Amino acid sequence: MEPGCPPQGSQGPEDDEEGMSKGDPPDPDDGLVRLPEPAASGSADIARYAQELEAALRQRTALLHEIDHRVKNNLQLISSLLVLQCRRIENPEARAPLRSMLERVNAVATVHRRLFKSTDPERFDVAEFARDLVTDLSQSLGREGVAVRLDLQAVNAPANHAAALALILNELVVNALKHGFPDGRAGAVTVTVRPHGETLEIEVLDNGVGGLEAQPAFGLTIVKMLSQQVRGQGEVQDAQPGRRVIVRVPVAETE
Amino acid sequence: MILDQPLNVLIVEDEMLLAVELSFLVQEAGLRDVGHAMSSEEAVRLARALTPDLALVDVHLNDGPTGVEAARLIAEDCGGVVLFMTANVMRLPDDFAGACGVIGKPYSENAVKRALAYLECCLRNDHAPGPPPLGLILSPAFRLRWGGGVELAG
Repeated sequence: MEPGCPPQGSQGPEDDEEGMSKGDPPDPDDGLVRLPEPAASGSADIARYAQELEAALRQRTALLHEIDHRVKNNLQLISSLLVLQCRRIENPEARAPLRSMLERVNAVATVHRRLFKSTDPERFDVAEFARDLVTDLSQSLGREGVAVRLDLQAVNAPANHAAALALILNELVVNALKHGFPDGRAGAVTVTVRPHGETLEIEVLDNGVGGLEAQPAFGLTIVKMLSQQVRGQGEVQDAQPGRRVIVRVPVAETE
Repeated sequence: MILDQPLNVLIVEDEMLLAVELSFLVQEAGLRDVGHAMSSEEAVRLARALTPDLALVDVHLNDGPTGVEAARLIAEDCGGVVLFMTANVMRLPDDFAGACGVIGKPYSENAVKRALAYLECCLRNDHAPGPPPLGLILSPAFRLRWGGGVELAG
């Protein structure tokens, strides 16, 4: 392989190089991985470079874990700040918008808790995420007499759409639970996640009071903006009774 | 643990805001917040002095990633049950350092409330009332101890 370097002679050049390197130590902090000089690539050098590569990889992995850890902690901190401020506001009407913001932050936090669990960091399963988010929402917002049903099929979406999809799903479910069943009305909310060709379909169906005007403006605006961002399309139908909202988002691998 | 008394809970968390929020949640769950620690040394000292029934322990404390060893000491020396609350779920040892389980950060208020109610039930009856609520992962040892033959959902 290396015509200028016969096997028997490999010990010599290595000794020489070690001798030289004493005066000129490698800089481990520059983050660069140096490839072996062709003439010096004996088996000892290859082993040493393999070690260096492994060390560099370990360092990068540790850095990634550290960043992941900080992002999760900071999301927790933002959530706790909102919770603590909510606790100080006695007027329920004044508290409501802050609670809504807390729900949105929690939706993004749920995404982050899930993201690093998946084997492919570029993709995430919308169904698994929807199970976490909707269960949490129905436990914190739901009430007796309003059932929350899940009909979930695995759909892999690009991870860079995760936060947008989380917020869309959050708004749709929160809206159905908060506004679909006033005055103790009973009923059900069904959340469906399913693939349709190379499209993800998220459907939130309720058999509540229906009526489009009941939709709170900011929540609807969020759904519209984020659907646009992920090149999705939303559709609102009168479910007689109640309302059906479907958001379709392209999720092909090339996205 | 005294049966008709609230369970005593020690909070080991170096983020003050999170500790304060946890304190509210502990009290709302009908448990008694007996103390806060921000370092592993303080955690072990308070656990020895207060013998809490439950210690909520973060892995990263203000003296470094020392929560795991603190948890091991609390579980072994003080008879208390430890629950980890950490963003580093994947890096816990396989035996959970003797802890009963973990809640991953970022957690929701609802998830912590449910977990505390569930753990109170487990601690009082030494048996789980069913599968753990969403967000709470039990350690293998405690799944065995509390779960019996029940298939517990992850």
